[in-house]
Amino acid sequence: MSMKEQIKVALTGNPNSGKTTLFNAITGRIEQVGNWAGVTIEKKEGDIKKGLNKTNVQVTAVDLPGAYSMSPFTSEESITSGFVRNENPDVIINIVDSTNLSRSLFFTTQLLELEIPVVVALNKIDLSKKKATNIDVDSLSKLLGCPVVETVSTKGNNNGLEDLISTVVEVTGKTQTAPFDIKGVNMADQKSVEASDKKRYEFVKEIVSKVEERKVISSKQTKQDAVDRVLAHKWLGIPIFALVMWAVFSISQAHLGPLLADTFVGWIDSFYAWVEGSLGDGVSPVLSSILLDGIIGGVGAVVGFLPLIMVLFFLLALLEDCGYMARVAVVMDRFFKKVGLSGKSIIPMIVGIGCSIPGVMSTRTIKNERQRRTTAMLTPFMPCGAKLPVIALFAGVFFNDAAWMGVTMYFVGIAIIILGALLVVRITGEKNARSFFIMELPEYRFPSIKRAAVSMLSRGKAFIIKAGTIILLCNAAVHIMQTFNWQFQAVAEGAENTSILASMASPFAIILVPLGFGAWQLAAAAITGFIAKENVVGTLAVVYGITNFIDTEELALVSGSADVAQIMGLTSVAALAYLMFNLFTPPCFAAIGAMNSEMENKKWLWGGIAFQFGMGYVVAFMTYQIGTMITTGALGSGFIPGLVAVALMIGYVVYLVRKGDEVAKRKVALSS
Amino acid sequence: MESIISNKGISRILSKTKGLGGPAMNLAQGRINTEYVIKEIKTNDEELKSFLFTLGCYEGELVTVISILAENYVISVKDARYSIDKDLAEAIIV
Repeated sequence: MSMKEQIKVALTGNPNSGKTTLFNAITGRIEQVGNWAGVTIEKKEGDIKKGLNKTNVQVTAVDLPGAYSMSPFTSEESITSGFVRNENPDVIINIVDSTNLSRSLFFTTQLLELEIPVVVALNKIDLSKKKATNIDVDSLSKLLGCPVVETVSTKGNNNGLEDLISTVVEVTGKTQTAPFDIKGVNMADQKSVEASDKKRYEFVKEIVSKVEERKVISSKQTKQDAVDRVLAHKWLGIPIFALVMWAVFSISQAHLGPLLADTFVGWIDSFYAWVEGSLGDGVSPVLSSILLDGIIGGVGAVVGFLPLIMVLFFLLALLEDCGYMARVAVVMDRFFKKVGLSGKSIIPMIVGIGCSIPGVMSTRTIKNERQRRTTAMLTPFMPCGAKLPVIALFAGVFFNDAAWMGVTMYFVGIAIIILGALLVVRITGEKNARSFFIMELPEYRFPSIKRAAVSMLSRGKAFIIKAGTIILLCNAAVHIMQTFNWQFQAVAEGAENTSILASMASPFAIILVPLGFGAWQLAAAAITGFIAKENVVGTLAVVYGITNFIDTEELALVSGSADVAQIMGLTSVAALAYLMFNLFTPPCFAAIGAMNSEMENKKWLWGGIAFQFGMGYVVAFMTYQIGTMITTGALGSGFIPGLVAVALMIGYVVYLVRKGDEVAKRKVALSS
Repeated sequence: MESIISNKGISRILSKTKGLGGPAMNLAQGRINTEYVIKEIKTNDEELKSFLFTLGCYEGELVTVISILAENYVISVKDARYSIDKDLAEAIIV
């Protein structure tokens, strides 16, 4: 037993060996997990749960991104080796995927040379037992010279975790002897290290042959491979993916989501009525209006969409858990490669459906710099959870709650991403650049309902916190700015255009005339959207006082929807243009911050933001003008100035593409 | 320099794997469900090479093509499945 009262233990292991699942299980934290390699990109710390720790030593666990070896290849791997080398954890837990000993133990033998006690958690033992693989744990422990504990971190109890923690405490401060001899290896000499690493693999092979008995030979076809052949089929892959996504959106936005939202909005309404009742007549009308219409109304309009978002998060979590994502990357690789990206770019985009910030952050697993930056720049085009209320509001008010509206928006997002990638690869002059794609295909598993529920609740909580802070403040501010003019007098009825908000938003509104929505109210809502996209709904509710229309008897937004449309004074086409403008302009500031940190280059960042603005403007312009042409036979307002602006933007991009092509030509000339 | 190392590697392995050897071809030309011995990883990208090494994909090791999906190759190396693209499959000489 060690004398230390507080120890730090690092969780290390190959990607997708279950480190974060184990971390969540032993700390009670709710970090993002998923069934593919490279979910965790930053280290995370947490204290071990009291229930698991039967010792009087306080144990802090640090979850690290996965690594295949101590020699870093991707940046998240260098976080791991850097941490283990520099921060001196007291113990290392090496999570080993028991279904793949022959690869995992390579890293284990390296960890054993760091002079820090190692405990091997032989994880996914349920999966290897299912395959009738027999592992002699005692011999393995003897051969490695460190304790080995069988674990199933996905299971609630009887999972070996208590045993793991007590073993960790036991080995603290003890010394272990590294099993593999690296004497005589010159670490500075690459050849010497290479030769030694080959011997290391031989050594691992020997251990595996002694401790492992396999019934299922890995190189033989399995049922999983048969499933792969369907899900990642050349022609079926894309339709299946589209169908899966369509199911996700239609369940969350047209069926289950609105059904739950119904009840929920009822509660908000009762709350509104209750506050209104308890305020009575004694409170000044300005104050009560700020509280009722500004805060409760605005926040309520946003929170009303919470059920839709939670259902979406739940379904996405199931999708992330089952192993399908890696297959989607395979299916998309062929198409993404044509536009200079890799199949891996699809994962940030799918994560981005929940929230762009983790989506942009997960681009870190993309090795190629240009592909990584391009993906970080384009990921926000995938409508995120915060944009979902905006979509749902417009689908409800202008399109009779059509499910296809929402789904269409996501596929428009994908189309824009592909176009954007194509332009970026041309502009950077790298259209001839080659890059390799390699992705581990994890085994399929039945997604855990519990994990999906936990993930949904934690994301839902984050959403409520955001609504109660940023969105609440924004709505209060919008309401105050709308109520007063620059002399701080209450704006008279009929003179709404003199309010602070109106005068600030009007200059922007002029720019938006060619897009079909040149009203200051709509401009203000779009601007507050940069703080948080949910604000678009909140601000619209406040400025138009339409809070009361977002109540429902039957389905969210159906009742009185015609009136909402009337108050906003938009045609369906202009509404669609406005929706697209909000979806496909730059994301919220927080996501822009994430773009900044992943791109690590100011030129890329500003270029990306400009591109996003331009894209939003062009898409909205086209939608409005072409749509108006089709529906009314005439051009929409502000066509000529809008056309000039759009032509200038497109012209500039064409100029950049031409320049990039010349760079590419020079590269070809140089290399031949 | 690199080529010298890999040439050595080839001759060493060729002598070990009679019958399987034959003229060098890349994995993209390989047959499904056939186990091949890797002779060389042919790329100038040293990082990629060392990454493949950590996966256990290097000369002398076994690789099997499980299926060809959407122009990508599903391969089995050690006890894991990977999807690789054609360019990478062509870089793996068997």
